[in-house]
Amino acid sequence: MTSQTRSALLIFAVVLGLLSTGAAATPPGNKPANKPAVFPLTTKSPEARRLVEQALVLYIDHVAQPEAIARLRDAVKADPQFAMAHELLAQISLGSAEQLAEQQKAFATRQHASPAERTIIQWYQDAAQHKMIPAITSMNDVVNQYPHDKMVVWMASWWLMTQTQYPRALAIYSQSEITDSPGLMNNMAYNYAALRQYDQAVAFMAKYAAALPGDPNPEDSYAEILRLAGRFDQSIEHYRAALAIDPKFYSSQFGLADTYSLMGKQAQAREQYKIAFEKFPLEEMQQVLWKTREATTYVRDGDFKSADRAFQAIADAAHARHISQTEADTYRQMAIYQPDGKRASQLLDNAQAALRDHENVTKMALQQESAQILRARVELAVRAGDKKAADAHLALLDQMAQVASDRLIESAFHGAAAALFYSEGNYDRAIEHLEEDSDNPLSVELLADAYQKSGDLENARRTAESLTERNDPTVEQALVVPSFRKCYADPTCGSNFKNATFHQ
Amino acid sequence: MFLFSGLASGKQLALVADKDNTTANVKAADLASILNGKTKSWSDGKPVKLILRDPSSRDMELVFRRVLNMSPEQVQAFIQVHPGLIIVAGSDDAVLRFVSATRGAIGIIDLYSLTKDVNVVKIDGKLPFDAGYLLKGN
Repeated sequence: MTSQTRSALLIFAVVLGLLSTGAAATPPGNKPANKPAVFPLTTKSPEARRLVEQALVLYIDHVAQPEAIARLRDAVKADPQFAMAHELLAQISLGSAEQLAEQQKAFATRQHASPAERTIIQWYQDAAQHKMIPAITSMNDVVNQYPHDKMVVWMASWWLMTQTQYPRALAIYSQSEITDSPGLMNNMAYNYAALRQYDQAVAFMAKYAAALPGDPNPEDSYAEILRLAGRFDQSIEHYRAALAIDPKFYSSQFGLADTYSLMGKQAQAREQYKIAFEKFPLEEMQQVLWKTREATTYVRDGDFKSADRAFQAIADAAHARHISQTEADTYRQMAIYQPDGKRASQLLDNAQAALRDHENVTKMALQQESAQILRARVELAVRAGDKKAADAHLALLDQMAQVASDRLIESAFHGAAAALFYSEGNYDRAIEHLEEDSDNPLSVELLADAYQKSGDLENARRTAESLTERNDPTVEQALVVPSFRKCYADPTCGSNFKNATFHQ
Repeated sequence: MFLFSGLASGKQLALVADKDNTTANVKAADLASILNGKTKSWSDGKPVKLILRDPSSRDMELVFRRVLNMSPEQVQAFIQVHPGLIIVAGSDDAVLRFVSATRGAIGIIDLYSLTKDVNVVKIDGKLPFDAGYLLKGN
């Protein structure tokens, strides 16, 4: 393209809104007036088809994930060449090994599937291999063909949520005109909550509760939304309401524990975790999630020895079960709260060693975890004043970010680069990078302080307030938010952001 | 139950052209020239037809800030002075429909709305998701 020798002035009509009204051709499936296109499921086994249809109803309409997983496992037994059943199982399984194996089986058996099913399988295969542009194109291809199909809308909106693309997920749901799916209502409530539009989130939750009267899940989801909004007492009430409906509704028992932990009541939180673990057997990913949150209660207490014991038990269990990424990530989390730099470095070595085994882990997850470990190494080197080591690790992370085309890896690079610039007092460069890592409380704390130091007081205030509103039960949140919140609210605490330092 | 991560939303925008457009890459400076109306045709002589969402939307604010270093107020003033420079569409779908059907058209959409009906054009040799890609924000 050239930018010289231009002829007449370009004058195009401003067509406000006109182009949005569907004047152009509408995709074949996008005809709500007619019978909506139904997504084809290809299997030679009527039994397998019936099981998948049951699984979809259980999962999307009743939010009954373990039951849906059981049906899908039966379906792939009944027809091992049922590619779409393998794909669905890969997407809703709660075990990393099963997720990986089922994705491979879906891809391997795709020749038995219809073109639309093959497009879905290709979408997830590309996403797992970091080929995001073709993955997005395939997703939209299927959504445009089947915009009113509940399964397609669920798959697209769920995947978009995992990509943090909440507005796009909401748009696909809205265009679907599906109003009778409790599972989708639940998902949309979480989308709105992620956008901090809590009024809409609560409105969807109310619809969801009305659609499933006497079901504990709406109460449980309602409680989680309230917790995200920082309304902890109401959250506890709704978790208790869920347990009153069904005492076996394990996520509410764990939800109580998570909420107490965020409220700063660690002893009560641990008591609730103990009850929950004793009462309920869990699938692998849920076990890891809540064991990690239980271990995090000790971090919140500043009792790092007890935290080490709890996290080490998770790492040992992950090692025994050959789940390398979980083992590595557990060691990485241990490293970031260590007061002793040498010990932190050893833990990062352990994390890297676990990744070398790369068992039951996708290429994408392996690279993302490697990036997180490198980020922690940069931050550790910055803390120790070892600029040479920080530069060396940052260069490796930079190389990885250049080739990986992955948002998490890029965020890790920006967080690490920002830590280095911040430590050198180069706040403008630090801000450039910190703005690209806004998911991580460690970076957001530095960002508020860097804005302050560079004189951008309005952005400093907004960033600080957004940090005080974070209520996710992670180690990073535990290390940053409670102390920041306390200082921010206390006029005697000195400079609003004076505690923005590296955690040591 | 949801096991919610609650991560902040990351925004990536894609520069898209019709399938017949052979331009695979533009420099950021060239994109700036298209946006400010200085560039009016492609190298093969076809007129550039620029279609965007509402310039006051957050996505387009990002575009004008990143490409032309303009504040929202400056963008509004610029649009007032250059009526007709930009075709304004009400949705990404509308941008995609126009671009896919119009030779020489170029538009900017949310990457996650991308379909196979258009080509993604690199900016400074970078595609969305590449490190240092211009049209992204949080």
